Amino acid sequence: MVHRSDRTARGLVAASLLCGATALGAVSTPVAAEAAEDDDIFRVGVLQDIDNLNPFKGITAAAYEAWALMYDGLTGYTAEDFAPTPRIAESWEQSEDGLTWTYKIRQGVTFHDGEPLTADDVAYTFNRIMDGRLEKTNYGSYVAQIKTVKATDDSTVVMKLKNPTPLMERLAVPILPEHIWSEIDDEEIRQYANEPDSDPPGGVGSGPFILTDAREGQFYRFTSNEDYWAGAPNIGGVEYRLYRNADAMVQALKNGEIDFADDLDANIFAALEGTEDIEARSSVYYGFNYLTFNSGAALTDGTSIGTGHPSLQDPQVRLAIHHAVDKEALVDRTLDGRGTPGTTVIPPLYPEHAEPDDPVTYDPDEANRILDEAGYPLGSDGIRTMPDGSDPLVYQLYARSNSETSQTTIKFLQGWLEDIGIDSTAETVSESRLYEIAGEGTFDMYEWGWVVEPDPDYQLSTFTCGQFSYEDGGTVYAGLNDSFYCNEEYDDLYEQQSTETDRDARTEIVQQMQLMAYDANAYIVTEYYDYLQAYRSDRFTGFVPQPEPDGAILFQYGTYSYLNIEPVTEENSSGSAAGGVSASGSGSDSDSNTGPVIAGLAGAAVLGGVGLWLFARRRRSADSDVE
Amino acid sequence: MAVAAAVRAADSDPEPQRPARGGQQGGLGRFIGYRLVAGLGTLVFVLLFNFFLFRMLPGDPAARYRAVKSISPADLAKIRDELTAPLPQQFVAYLKDPLALDGISSWKGQPVWDLVQGRAWPTLVLLGATTIVAVVIGVWIGIKAGWNRGSRFDKVSTAVTLLFYATPEFWLGLLLILLFSTGIGFFPGIFPSGGVIDSGIDPLSFEGITSIADHTVLPAVALAAVYLAEYSLIMRASMVDELGQDYLMTARAKGMMDHMVRRRHAVPNASLPTITLIFLNIGFIIGGAITVETVFSYPGLGLLTFEAVSEQDYVLMQALFLVFTMSVIVFNIIADIVIAVIDPRIRT
Repeated sequence: MVHRSDRTARGLVAASLLCGATALGAVSTPVAAEAAEDDDIFRVGVLQDIDNLNPFKGITAAAYEAWALMYDGLTGYTAEDFAPTPRIAESWEQSEDGLTWTYKIRQGVTFHDGEPLTADDVAYTFNRIMDGRLEKTNYGSYVAQIKTVKATDDSTVVMKLKNPTPLMERLAVPILPEHIWSEIDDEEIRQYANEPDSDPPGGVGSGPFILTDAREGQFYRFTSNEDYWAGAPNIGGVEYRLYRNADAMVQALKNGEIDFADDLDANIFAALEGTEDIEARSSVYYGFNYLTFNSGAALTDGTSIGTGHPSLQDPQVRLAIHHAVDKEALVDRTLDGRGTPGTTVIPPLYPEHAEPDDPVTYDPDEANRILDEAGYPLGSDGIRTMPDGSDPLVYQLYARSNSETSQTTIKFLQGWLEDIGIDSTAETVSESRLYEIAGEGTFDMYEWGWVVEPDPDYQLSTFTCGQFSYEDGGTVYAGLNDSFYCNEEYDDLYEQQSTETDRDARTEIVQQMQLMAYDANAYIVTEYYDYLQAYRSDRFTGFVPQPEPDGAILFQYGTYSYLNIEPVTEENSSGSAAGGVSASGSGSDSDSNTGPVIAGLAGAAVLGGVGLWLFARRRRSADSDVE
Repeated sequence: MAVAAAVRAADSDPEPQRPARGGQQGGLGRFIGYRLVAGLGTLVFVLLFNFFLFRMLPGDPAARYRAVKSISPADLAKIRDELTAPLPQQFVAYLKDPLALDGISSWKGQPVWDLVQGRAWPTLVLLGATTIVAVVIGVWIGIKAGWNRGSRFDKVSTAVTLLFYATPEFWLGLLLILLFSTGIGFFPGIFPSGGVIDSGIDPLSFEGITSIADHTVLPAVALAAVYLAEYSLIMRASMVDELGQDYLMTARAKGMMDHMVRRRHAVPNASLPTITLIFLNIGFIIGGAITVETVFSYPGLGLLTFEAVSEQDYVLMQALFLVFTMSVIVFNIIADIVIAVIDPRIRT
């Protein structure tokens, strides 16, 4: 038998006790105590990092959200319906010919370092973008039609244009302090982190929140700007916490480490519904998923490229496939019902959206009828061929590897194509690979998605002939047009809307264009998906949806919720349930905790069973060992 | 202390031929020199391999700009120009700066080594905590179980450690979050579910250190469970191997107490494979905590690797892979040297 008073063992025990003590010391800083200190800090859990705080460098949605806190745009978007609204520009007017725009700059606005914001800072910001290269990456589209920008006095900026453009009301460009950015030259700007400890000190804007602490990959902390021109926020500050695991983020929301969880998956969202003190909100959003056709891949100079099936150049075939796709089923199966079947490429939450009078319905019989009529005979193997009997209709499909929705959609599509006599092979590839495939035109159909800005120009450009693939140094690159839909009439309308500065007249053209592309079946817009967010209703109240009343309550075009929310107190708590936001979509009867707990217990039981079996085996072999 | 014990063990171990004192020193020196040269050779190979590996990856690094923001084809082409140059030209640039000391991360737009440095300390904290817990507990269990083979302690501990060894660490991590972060029923959540430190605290203050410890407990436990299992199983196996050896009988015949036989003779001889493994694992954990760091959003090198891969940041990936291979090579050499110091048989 072993002696218990073994010195080595005792040493080891002491060492592990020491470790235990460290751990115990750690436990003594409870989460609750920390929360009490920062009671009025609004803590937002995000899954996507702020890739850069420098407004010329970052490209993620989280980065744009952070810049919205730090900076003011020249103009903004209303919470109601994304209409242009004054920010740093108090008002503006255009000349008769629409080529001269005069902006009245708001007086009494100061940067976070106390310096006043004047017309010079506005002119500096725009000129920097127009003269820059890197600077154009994020804001180039805003200045494409601008010839000159001049500050004529402290409160007036005059912009001269090459062509009239409605974009002049939508200049959501963050206004930078000239006294800081003029110290950063064209080379330095590439590495400028724009953080408080940068040289020169970064993060200085005129926005409602001041950046105080940036820890790459961990969190970003902002305090409220008490001198904000539109009124100080009702909260002490904002903190973004980065989570790389959606489950962990939701657990953090449940135990009160964060107050808001952004961009949730449908299954995680469903588990949160009905949880005490948590409001799970499904909002209409400006993104859509689509199926595209290769309706004749070519370069901008007209050279045909790619391996697209000739049948897809026939609009009737595309229409037939559109009839074969059951969008309702896709919304149910891929989005758990959190979305709506799609039609045109400008989503319904924008006033510019056009809804077809006679939308294409799910009707496989009609699809077969159209194909029969168009002369694509069924072969003996059940696969249709081209009218002359050549080229059986066998399509190459692609799905995105990072999207389960994409893969499920393509799987469904294969079945639906089979129903109408079309065979297919499907492959799942990364988005960057699919981007290459799209550019080279070596596909028949694939699934992807777009996120649509309030101004429709960019989205509409994806159906113009000028956005076909292009060749550069022997390599073919994708333009924005991944359906290879090309129509002169459409292109003319595109030119018209891009210079039409009357909003109603432009909307009419924009709607006509959407319907034109819809009727040609350039895309099948499968679904407009919802944006899923959740917050602790016992912590903050007063979220403002954009657009009202069903839009997202954070990650908007603007800072409405950040400026309006306030900590829940006894006075406002009674009203918060009904008045926090116009609440929708909550009230599921499933208990959120049960799912994961059962899964965990089941897992533990399986593990335990395996353990017991191993133990029993071990014992048997040990018995035979020991004689 | 371990070395002293080992030398004493060697004294009473009749098997190995003990060379003369001078020869022993020279042998060790030559051995270390040989290992360093071999390590250097491996490093050069890895450097070259790294270059071609990352240029074989598919995809267009500039493509990620496309879906996110309005960008004209002309601007896209400019960005692309900056990212792609002829291969020989890239190779020369690479050889001039294989560590990418001047490299800028395409994802964060910051110098690559600033990013790596910022992420190194959380990984080192996690590595330290994990290694200490796993080695101390794992080795202790292994010794005890091996020495008393067939005892109830042996059976239970072997079953439990096998269980841990078979558990995916990210799944264990999720369970830990569910149990100790959210809490279930009356059982309160006590540990944070992610991150390495609370905001607004100086990491070097007392508060900062406790906050870091608080955040490190769960990921360290998740990682340690697996390595602990590995150490205890290996240690147990080597102990069992030593059980029947003649030198132990000799020691007992000299009238040594059982625990002295174990400590002075069996353990030093049995610990060699485990020591090698510990050092090798240190090299691997530096880059191998990817899943655990991701589950706990623990901002270390493993998470950075995950991010670099998902953001297609080739420069960052290249730097990270180099750090990881270097750490494996360095700890390999250290393991060899430590073993050589402990066990003279190796040096010949």
